[in-house]
Amino acid sequence: MELPRSAGPGRAPQPAPRVGARRATVRGRLSARVGPLALALPPIALVLVFTGFPILIAVTYTLGHLGGYNSAISAIGLHQYSAGHRWATFAAYRNVLGDPDFQADVVITIWVTAVSTLSVVVIAWVVALYARFSSSWAARLLSSLSVVPLFVPVVIASYAFLTFWGPGGFVKTMAHAAGLPGFPVLSYTMDGVTLAEIWVNIPFAVLMLTSGLRNVPDSLVEAARDAGAGLGATVRQVLLPLNMLPTVIAMTFTAISVIGSYTVPYLVGPSAPNMLGVEAADTFSAFNQPQQGEVMAMVLFGLAALLAVPYLWATWATNKRSVR
Amino acid sequence: MKVPLRSLARRTPPAAALALLALFILGPLAWLLLWAFAGTWTYPALLPQHWSLDWWGEVFSAPQLWRSIELSLFFSPVVTAVSAVVCLPAAYAFARSSFPLRRSFLVLLFSTNAFPKIGLYLAIAGLFYSLHIMGSAVGVVLIQLLGTIVFMVWIPAAAFAGVPPALEEAARDAGAGRVRTFLWVTLPVAAPGIFVAMVLAFLASFDEAQGTLLVGAPNYVTMPTQMYSLVNNYPPQAAAVFALLLSVPSVALMLLVRRHVMGGALARGFQLH
Repeated sequence: MELPRSAGPGRAPQPAPRVGARRATVRGRLSARVGPLALALPPIALVLVFTGFPILIAVTYTLGHLGGYNSAISAIGLHQYSAGHRWATFAAYRNVLGDPDFQADVVITIWVTAVSTLSVVVIAWVVALYARFSSSWAARLLSSLSVVPLFVPVVIASYAFLTFWGPGGFVKTMAHAAGLPGFPVLSYTMDGVTLAEIWVNIPFAVLMLTSGLRNVPDSLVEAARDAGAGLGATVRQVLLPLNMLPTVIAMTFTAISVIGSYTVPYLVGPSAPNMLGVEAADTFSAFNQPQQGEVMAMVLFGLAALLAVPYLWATWATNKRSVR
Repeated sequence: MKVPLRSLARRTPPAAALALLALFILGPLAWLLLWAFAGTWTYPALLPQHWSLDWWGEVFSAPQLWRSIELSLFFSPVVTAVSAVVCLPAAYAFARSSFPLRRSFLVLLFSTNAFPKIGLYLAIAGLFYSLHIMGSAVGVVLIQLLGTIVFMVWIPAAAFAGVPPALEEAARDAGAGRVRTFLWVTLPVAAPGIFVAMVLAFLASFDEAQGTLLVGAPNYVTMPTQMYSLVNNYPPQAAAVFALLLSVPSVALMLLVRRHVMGGALARGFQLH
């Protein structure tokens, strides 16, 4: 089922037919506006209460406010810093950010995120281009293959990855058969984590870019071809500018997904240094230092906010262009 | 789409790249499948030395593994149903009406995509301690529910918006009331989109591991959460068998909605314009 482009709720809403005509009274008009608001409220309320509110509470907790909604968690946590009567203390932040182990985790997290995100976007572009311009069985196979990870729960993917690339796995077995006994084993290494993150995140980027490229009219591509542009030039000068937004979206959300991942680095990665997600969760529950764990969560939020900047810019630029 | 660049695309050497990508993507899954039927399998044999179904019996006779299967089959339908009740009316409102704060609501809804998952779960866990729902079924339902909201609003909203208003007007002209029109005209036409959203919500809940581990363990260990300990504490055969069992619903349900997902239903949920 192909949905009409105008169907996106982000666009100008179609007014409810007839409602205004039938009840032209002020009261009728009011209920026509308040009714939908009431219908729309439950999921919004849920998001506010269970996402927005806990984040605010967590911010106050990391700043040393141990009372109120934080009293239950601060009653069980170890090594906490209290703001006392001041408005805030940054002691918990100093404690976490000054720790060389944590700094190593940050560096490795950024590295894994950068490498896997760039790889995912490049692979997705190749797959999407191929699917757009070839109708061969190979192209169809390629686009089907690239969404397979969507069908597999992340826990299973991580475990499968571990056995495939591990000491007794397929890759090592083949290397052995080929007479390469020194071939590296990727289980419990950050390279393994990076590859597994690529595996997990390919489908979303492929779907995003495939649907983006589908919206480029054939006539534009033909015009570029007639003007003498080859594949490279067509991609650079026609397809890439027209697909800036899907590319930025794919990049942003892949990066956010990698940076906030837990299962892949927990199962595939080494015990230390590992990615921030694992470190934050371990600090929170295994080491029972929830305040430090939430400081790490704040660092993750900060990094994600930086990652979201290009997305917001691209969305803004696209909206501006479409308004003109 | 069989146009100009086709010849160029054909000239690139796709066969080797295709084989590599196939190996990269399918290899780990195939290897896991073999493990589920392996009796003994030692390095460096390419295939198990002998095959066996023993581990299937072992898995089925372990009570804590059964318990996690039951829990998964309990939580996922509950989460899907709650998500539908909370989100579908909102989806209709977003698709068909203009109301104050509509735009802000959408931005708010989508902004939840922008938070790294594990950070969000840790913040929520902090609040759950003071609400006394850490380690409770309510906590598990809530944490899984949060992962379904965006597409449970978005995909059905697109489906509702796709119902031609003329169709509804015709029903009204024939004398049907608003409720009747909704139930007999709007809902059936939008049903496929709603179905896709419900399947995706079920899967999101069924496959959710990290939030459930944080909030539900040790009282509520669902199937994906059980995998964490299986990987570390059981022989690879047992983990492989359990992983296969866990994959069955995912693969079956995803195949069911494959066309919609490939058609961009999921991708559109991230495009805010």
